[in-house]
Amino acid sequence: MAEGKDPLRYFRVEARELVDQISAGVLDLDQRPGPEPVAMLLRVAHTLKGAARVVKQKEIADHAHAFEEILVPHRGDDAGPLAAEEMRELLRLNDAIAACVTVMEKPAPAPDKKVEPAKAQEKAPEPRREEVVKPPTADLDELLDAIGETNTRMAPLRVGCSTVERLHRSAENLADQLRVGRGNAAATRAAAERLAAELGSAGRRFTDSVDQIERELEDVRARAEGLRLVPVSSVFTTLRRAVRDAADAEGKRVRFEARGTGIRMGAHLLGPVSGGFLHVVRNAVVHGIEPEQERVAAGKPAEGTITVEVERRGRFAMFRCIDDGRGFDLDALRRTAEDRGLLAAGSGPPDSESLLGLVLHGGISTAPAVTEVSGRGIGMDAVREVAVQLQGEVKVHSTPGLGATVELIFPLALLAMTGLNVEAGGTVATLPLDVVRACVRLSPEEAAAAAVSGRIVYDGSAAPFLPLAEALYTGSTVPDTPGIGAAVVVNTTGGTFAIGVDRLAGTSGLVARPLPELAPASAVVSSVSVDADGNPRLVLDPQGLADEVFRGHQAGARPAAATVAAPLPILVVDDSLTTRMLERSILESAGYEVDLAASGEEGLEKARARRYGLFLTDIDMPGIDGFTFVERTRADPKLAVVPAILVSSRASAADRDRGRDAGASAYVVKGEFDQELLLGHIRRLVVRS
Amino acid sequence: MRVTSVAGRVEQLRADFDRSFAEPARTLDGDSIELLAVGAGGRPYALRLSQASGVHPDRPVTALPTTVRALLGVAGFAGTVVPVYDLAALLGHTIGQRPRWLLLTAGTPPMALAFHELDRHLRVPLGDVVTASTDDDGQHGCLQGLVRLPDGDRPIIDVPAVRALVHQLAGHQPVPEEIR
Repeated sequence: MAEGKDPLRYFRVEARELVDQISAGVLDLDQRPGPEPVAMLLRVAHTLKGAARVVKQKEIADHAHAFEEILVPHRGDDAGPLAAEEMRELLRLNDAIAACVTVMEKPAPAPDKKVEPAKAQEKAPEPRREEVVKPPTADLDELLDAIGETNTRMAPLRVGCSTVERLHRSAENLADQLRVGRGNAAATRAAAERLAAELGSAGRRFTDSVDQIERELEDVRARAEGLRLVPVSSVFTTLRRAVRDAADAEGKRVRFEARGTGIRMGAHLLGPVSGGFLHVVRNAVVHGIEPEQERVAAGKPAEGTITVEVERRGRFAMFRCIDDGRGFDLDALRRTAEDRGLLAAGSGPPDSESLLGLVLHGGISTAPAVTEVSGRGIGMDAVREVAVQLQGEVKVHSTPGLGATVELIFPLALLAMTGLNVEAGGTVATLPLDVVRACVRLSPEEAAAAAVSGRIVYDGSAAPFLPLAEALYTGSTVPDTPGIGAAVVVNTTGGTFAIGVDRLAGTSGLVARPLPELAPASAVVSSVSVDADGNPRLVLDPQGLADEVFRGHQAGARPAAATVAAPLPILVVDDSLTTRMLERSILESAGYEVDLAASGEEGLEKARARRYGLFLTDIDMPGIDGFTFVERTRADPKLAVVPAILVSSRASAADRDRGRDAGASAYVVKGEFDQELLLGHIRRLVVRS
Repeated sequence: MRVTSVAGRVEQLRADFDRSFAEPARTLDGDSIELLAVGAGGRPYALRLSQASGVHPDRPVTALPTTVRALLGVAGFAGTVVPVYDLAALLGHTIGQRPRWLLLTAGTPPMALAFHELDRHLRVPLGDVVTASTDDDGQHGCLQGLVRLPDGDRPIIDVPAVRALVHQLAGHQPVPEEIR
């Protein structure tokens, strides 16, 4: 079919939008009967009927008409609510229309093939679950508007081009006149001046137009980026309908609540999540929510509630389904687990956490026997698969008699956020604004004090403080910069801390994307965004920063919860036995494993024989000296990844420069040997396994 | 067809000239090879043009906190964020000043190599390329043969081998595990 002659081109878009409105409206009406949802549905169904007739989609028009017929008697304030049978019929017609529209949206295999709604309905356990989540038309309209706007800005440029052409001719004329010496000097000068003036104003107009186009294009780019993300609310209708259908089939009354509808994320994520959560909400109705009498007897409201919450935590998204039903049947789970020998012998009775863990982490969930008793095996399988696919995680909480919660947490690839731009050590980086609690201006003295003590007083208590430049320049020298001018106080689940930045550079909306492959980075960077000039900008990970900050504050004794990898061993190269032993004792008491080498040669040999996290080397040694040791290791790609620190009694600037040129990451002078300073460098630099 | 008039001759020349732009550049017409003569870490090298998908000067590189020393950072190419590796560092030379040129390599995942000097573009007869194995000390198999030029021999950098080295380096540092 020729694209330009496709009569259904626009109808498809409109019909999909109207069907979505009908699907949501029917569920609204079901939950909150009243004249408003009825009026809305009548309006939408009527529009659909009209549009369908225009493009000769009789079936859709007929269904829409039947839909209207049911609703008409219930229009107006004093009309009674719909009977259950009428409600069911509305839902059936809703599905029938949706099926027609879905068929129409697929490329027609044969022109004579007619839509059979009854057939479409037969395979209706999941009529429109597989559908692609699309960006709303309104967003597309806005993008098109923005492109149109940019286009109109081209007109002045077109005019400008002909002006330039004209001025070019004038200039040539003038040159001719000058060449042949015709005309008087005054007139020629006047002409030249006129030309210069005209060129000047043409140039200004060009500059204005180009500036304007640049701004418009930036707007277009931002909107187009936003289109890659769709609102989470687009999957709620599907979930809500699943709850409604399941409740109807079970003869239960269940109310559906949605929270966090405004969040946007990549359409490729929402598809699988919605698929997995469909099972979760259905199971919550079927197995979680008790029959009405049972609920009333237990002192609960007769109507059960299922809440689906969506939340964004840093670069993770969290979908949560909460029901107020009976919770998981832990006794049955325990029995089955025991029968199948899944519990370690002699480990005592398992607690509920480990039982729920068994459901989640395989083993018993796929077995039919357990599926029947636990009642949630299949749903759990589905959601676990989604979690694996999205590299996320599922958590289950259950309180017998009070309900259960299923939580799916997964990292977001593309993430729209508002960021606070900060500058540190010449680099601009972005921090998600929602974790920023405050920004504090620091005087040079305050900044120096904070950097030395590693703490800053905020809100009456001392918060750990880390200059951001230190975290950003892991493994290299921090360039000279004006110095810290502000502290940003950050709130994370791990606690409150502050980072020192040179200056604040405003806030901006951005789309964060994962770091590319082949770009392994420190955990303080979670993702990158692309700025208006097309250059990457680092997006900081609050959790990674927190780990970095708190690690610096509790040397050796890292928080048990943190999953930070253990540091690799450190190789100490020094020809002096005393220094070797001193350094070893310092490092070992800080929790590092240490190997020793008495010369540069031995050091190189050992360095190649084992993976180290850091080299700590003296400079003045017989044979290969420290500079050479560092240079040789830098020249070997396998060893170059291991940072090197030079320790020496040489204190001159020239030696420091030479050390830096050789590729040393830090330089510590023995005379002013400061254990804390050395450990600080090591903590910052050491490679972890 | 014989062209008689001067106008016809001019027309013919113009058409030939225009057509020459429409024809794809010949990278390898059987007996010659196209190379880029580059300088990295103060030494001359050559790169096969067919192993590159673009050369860009002075593109801003956003530094990345990383323990991989050769990884200079990331740069933007038409909306794609691409890791940039220092060619000199990969070849085992001490890193001097920041390289000016970025070479986008062919293959996936996207990767750019930074080098200091772009000397010139060469088309040399295949016979001038010596495929004998070069002294491999320090270069980790990144060099494959050399090209004989009037101003001296240039080792040829094997981009796929460099890519393999980068994969190995990046793989050595597993992406930090996600918290939680």
